[in-house]
Amino acid sequence: MSSRQKKPPPVGGARTPTPAPLTGDPILRSTSRAVFALVLLFAFLLLWRGHNAPGGGFIAGLMTTCALVLHRIAHGTSALRTDPARLVPWGLALSFGTGLVPYLLGRPFLKSDYGYITTALTGEFEWATALLFDLGVFLVVVGASLAIVYALLDVQPQETVEGDE
Amino acid sequence: MTLAAFFPFLIAALCAWLGPRLGRRTGYVAAAAFLPALLLIPELLGMPGSAPALEVTRWVPELDLHLAFRGDGFSLLFAVLIGVIGTLASLYSVAYLSEHEKFGRFYAYLLCFGGSMLGLVLSDNLVALFGFWEMTSVTSFLLIGLWHTRSAARDGAMKAFLVSALGGLALLAAVALIALGGGSTSLSGLDLSALRASPFFTPALLLTLLAAFTKSAQLPFHLWLPTAMEAPTPVSAFLHSATMVKAGVVLVAKFGLIFGTSALWPAIIVPVGLATLVWGAWLALRQTDLKALLAYSTISQLGLLMSLYGLADAEGRFAATAHLLNHAAFKAALFFVVGIIDHETGTRELPRLGGLRRALPVTFAVALLAALSMAGLPPLGGFISKELFYEAMVHQGPLYLAVAVLGSTLTFAYSFRLMRVFLGPLRAPAGAQPHEAPPGLTLPAAALALTALAFGLLPGMAEALTRTAQTALNFGAYGGYLSLWHGVTPALIATVLTWALGAALVTQADRVGDLGRRLTPRTNANTVYYSLTQLVNVFASWLIARTQGLALPDQLRIMLAATAVISGYALVRAPQVFHPFGDLPLGVLPVAALLVGGAVGVLLSRNRLTAVIVTGLTGFGTAAAFLAFRAPDLALTQLLVEAVTVILFLLAFRYLPGVRDLPRTRGRYAFDLTVAGLAGIGATLLVLSSVRFLAPPISPYYLEYSYKGGGGKNVVNVLLVDFRGFDTLGEITVVGIVALAVLSLVRLGRRGRTRTEPGAPPPEDLAPDLPAARVPVTQQERP
Repeated sequence: MSSRQKKPPPVGGARTPTPAPLTGDPILRSTSRAVFALVLLFAFLLLWRGHNAPGGGFIAGLMTTCALVLHRIAHGTSALRTDPARLVPWGLALSFGTGLVPYLLGRPFLKSDYGYITTALTGEFEWATALLFDLGVFLVVVGASLAIVYALLDVQPQETVEGDE
Repeated sequence: MTLAAFFPFLIAALCAWLGPRLGRRTGYVAAAAFLPALLLIPELLGMPGSAPALEVTRWVPELDLHLAFRGDGFSLLFAVLIGVIGTLASLYSVAYLSEHEKFGRFYAYLLCFGGSMLGLVLSDNLVALFGFWEMTSVTSFLLIGLWHTRSAARDGAMKAFLVSALGGLALLAAVALIALGGGSTSLSGLDLSALRASPFFTPALLLTLLAAFTKSAQLPFHLWLPTAMEAPTPVSAFLHSATMVKAGVVLVAKFGLIFGTSALWPAIIVPVGLATLVWGAWLALRQTDLKALLAYSTISQLGLLMSLYGLADAEGRFAATAHLLNHAAFKAALFFVVGIIDHETGTRELPRLGGLRRALPVTFAVALLAALSMAGLPPLGGFISKELFYEAMVHQGPLYLAVAVLGSTLTFAYSFRLMRVFLGPLRAPAGAQPHEAPPGLTLPAAALALTALAFGLLPGMAEALTRTAQTALNFGAYGGYLSLWHGVTPALIATVLTWALGAALVTQADRVGDLGRRLTPRTNANTVYYSLTQLVNVFASWLIARTQGLALPDQLRIMLAATAVISGYALVRAPQVFHPFGDLPLGVLPVAALLVGGAVGVLLSRNRLTAVIVTGLTGFGTAAAFLAFRAPDLALTQLLVEAVTVILFLLAFRYLPGVRDLPRTRGRYAFDLTVAGLAGIGATLLVLSSVRFLAPPISPYYLEYSYKGGGGKNVVNVLLVDFRGFDTLGEITVVGIVALAVLSLVRLGRRGRTRTEPGAPPPEDLAPDLPAARVPVTQQERP
């Protein structure tokens, strides 16, 4: 922990209320270009395999958030076209809907179902309605955390701290 | 019936979507929402003979929670009433609302309200009944506050909600007590004798009455109803005539079968109802706003209904049910009439209006019929039900009869006062061109007024409708019948006396007004309400100033000290904590060292960036600990949460100035050290105590069934999405709400993007926007 060395204030520009620009760093841009798709892919893998191995909607959502934030910081624009807060109600509706369907069919609320399909191409393949529920969780987590991060990214502080200037 | 209660909610969602697209025509779709309720009519007509249908949808059988709807005569009668008035109100609002209204919102609220009301009257399960009861409070709050830019509407909505929420809490307690005492949550399945013998009987009775009185605006809770008229007029008509305010009456009518045997029941309800009748009518007589007059008149009429149902005998229930129908017909018609007057002249002030009978002949005819029914004149329905009311009060003794005559006299007087807008020379505000309203407004009103007339001319029809409720309300043995002429009875003499006194009041209106001004008390329910709410505000500001105004470190001190105290108390109460000290898992010591290193590092770091990163170290250390305990799922989650947290911290800290060494006195330093140490030790001991298993572990069950039942090999995930999916659903709801809260907090200080300086790049383009947005705000704001 090198914190004991007296360093000059970091990039954050701690002495002024105006932080250094977040975007436009060439190294960050090229790294992000390489990493972004990879992280997203891994996130989807986590979501997919969550039923049988470590993973799941929550984790995948957080990882997707990290990828999107990286993209947003590096390029200044988001790879996501819609307002992330809009994902939250859709995710909630999806999760609730998957719970409601078995209820309407006369089984307990949220009872999940699964089965196996065997095709020549993929071999035995398991499907589970829990994946849909997990997808809802994923959407909510991505929407909520991204909404918070984006809101903080372009916040404009209205008050200045005493003794600042 | 289940469909009748839930169909309006479905259509409400549809209307919310259609509103911006169809505009005012959404009302025609909304009117269709009450169709299933109207389809109950055949069932209603066969009612005194056939057995009530029971529809049960199971929800949580273990808790005796079902969505049970029972179509007995009284419930069906009321449901059809709601359906009829709801349909008429929806159609009326098509013509009434202005082009700029938010139609989607309006109709969605209106239908949700109608649906909750239908659920309330049809519900057989006590818990569901309470749920629908609260939903009527919430939806009426939304309806009253529809024009939320007006402070009066906000105030009215808040008042209505506070008062009826108070009653709602009372009802919740009452429902719990009744279910405990009666051994069932089903209204029809209650063990009445067990309930009457149980100690819960009297408290449940009192709580039920509190709920009914607040909802039906009985003294002294009448204050919310007049301000509830801030809602658009079609809503007022619906609220006042058929639904919301009658919920309390319904409760008294239905629960009268449970509590009616107690002497306390009539002893409380009848005096309160009669006092409300007189006081409400007296206040109505003195209003100058037409809608306010009708609002106080509703209070008064509810008092009448309350007192009759409160008698808890066959005669009272019969008379009350007859009057319930009459009241719904004439009150809704009058509200529609007032809406027409408002619509045509632009004012509802009595002194500014007069002689409208020539300009609005149809409206005049409608108003005349409805007002005569309200005043209790033959040959209208109101006359018959008032005769029954007197008949019932004659049997209660001369005092009650005298009060009833007084109340009816005042009712007579204010009914005629209302008609003054149509009489005399033409008076209307300058610029108003009153002429007959479009048929969309007059037809619903006319239909209701003709119903009021039909109830009088064809008493057999009204009686048949009233009789449908006889089994449900237990007045089968009552021999009374509806007729315009019963012969010369004490009731008829009282009626003639009422007319004479009423006519005197009408002719001496000026003197009555003077008397009223002199008699106005300085304190009334409203001043009490406002001083109470003011008191709460003052107390809240005081509390906030004392606790929330502190510097952040001080708030942290308070929180940590509280943690230390609470954990200390827990440890004192549960000393067996110290048992598991023997087998500390030594393998995780390196991880522990990492955690401690992180914690100490934070203290030593001199700038914020380092501090955040070092704090992250503790998080990653925790992830390592999870790995050491073989929980890869948790470790993965912890890692990612930590990463996002660090990002959030860094983003939030960009705008803060650098850390300076805080001037800390030696004493405060020692205090901080003690508090931090105690909180840490307490938390550690609490965690250790939870390691001790007091019951056989549940994990083998999950290990066994996660593949068998859920089809997944990852137990944690199956647990999250299947076994405890409901928890997860709740958690993601919380996550979503938190995101919305943070968004609104962060955007709170922002006054829209238009305030960036002219010449700045367009705000949608985020890349160039970021540096531009960082021009110090102080420079933008200073002129």
